[in-house]
Amino acid sequence: MRDMVCRALRIRPELAIMLFHRGLFTPEERAEFLQFLPKESRNFSAPSLGPVQFATLLAQGDTHLAARAVLRNCIRPNELEWLYRLLRFQKPNDKRDELTRAVERALEGRKGNVRKSK
Amino acid sequence: MSESLSETPQPSELVNSVVKNLCVLAARAWAKRWIITFTAATGVGKTTAVDYAERTLGFDHQVIRCKQITTRYTLLQALALAPGEKWTTHGRNWMRASDLYDRAIERIRQRPYLLIIDEADRLRLDCFEILRDFWDDAKLPMLLVGNEVLTEKLNRQHERLFRRIRIRFEQRPLREADLRKVLEFMGYTIADDEFTLLWKLVGGSPGFAEALLENANEIAASQGAKRGIEALEGALRYFPTLRAAA
Repeated sequence: MRDMVCRALRIRPELAIMLFHRGLFTPEERAEFLQFLPKESRNFSAPSLGPVQFATLLAQGDTHLAARAVLRNCIRPNELEWLYRLLRFQKPNDKRDELTRAVERALEGRKGNVRKSK
Repeated sequence: MSESLSETPQPSELVNSVVKNLCVLAARAWAKRWIITFTAATGVGKTTAVDYAERTLGFDHQVIRCKQITTRYTLLQALALAPGEKWTTHGRNWMRASDLYDRAIERIRQRPYLLIIDEADRLRLDCFEILRDFWDDAKLPMLLVGNEVLTEKLNRQHERLFRRIRIRFEQRPLREADLRKVLEFMGYTIADDEFTLLWKLVGGSPGFAEALLENANEIAASQGAKRGIEALEGALRYFPTLRAAA
């Protein structure tokens, strides 16, 4: 199973499905995601999470997945602002700091990755 | 006419203990030319206090927010260049980093100001090194604002700057009555049982309380109901760390 699909299947289903609808996955990942999605989760088509709920789930969930969602423009500006605030409530670590920086860049309207030089 | 006169106008700003303490420390740092750290847990309202201080302080000051500062070069640019001016790295008027540093020092000597750095806990070590140089060379007074990590970071990794800090102020979270006042000022109408639960979960952190209340509002709205204690308890499932505390 692809890494991103594996991560998506580990987070809350409503968030994974919302990200799926917003175009987080490549076509191959989409097919694989649908194949492995548990039957009970396939019932709801597009869950209606509010911006704060969506941002809270993202902030609490997988950092790698959230970073991809930010870099792929799957998150609306008001959700980004909440995500930024909620990330700062959590204990900082390297991965989360990089996600915070990616969110800052997205809020400033800049794209691209923010890899540190090794 | 009499109705409009009897109405008390809503104050446009609420100056709570965090704002007051930060402004007092800023004034002290400026008057004594000291380096002061102001630390508090996340969500207490440090950034709001810095915004207030930026608008109201009655002496020269410059506020730097760490999201704009990623390297020592961006720090130098923020302190040495005028607004809108660019760092020319090639051509006839090219400037080295050391030229920028000299320019910043000259600027401080001619017209001293207080440097306030918000989220200073996120600064890299080389940035702290430059701050120490600014203090040594130009006695630049500073107020470093950040969370608990700031003191720990300076203590463990940058002893030379740590020894130059005159006051290390640790802001306590808001008290119960202050939190209620802040939330009401933010426009939330909260029932007593909701507030009791909020206080138990988030303590004196209005930022956290706001996130929880907004989640509860969205849950209630999705059910077509008004926010109540059930919605607030429902919002808890989005915050695993708080759920453990409950």
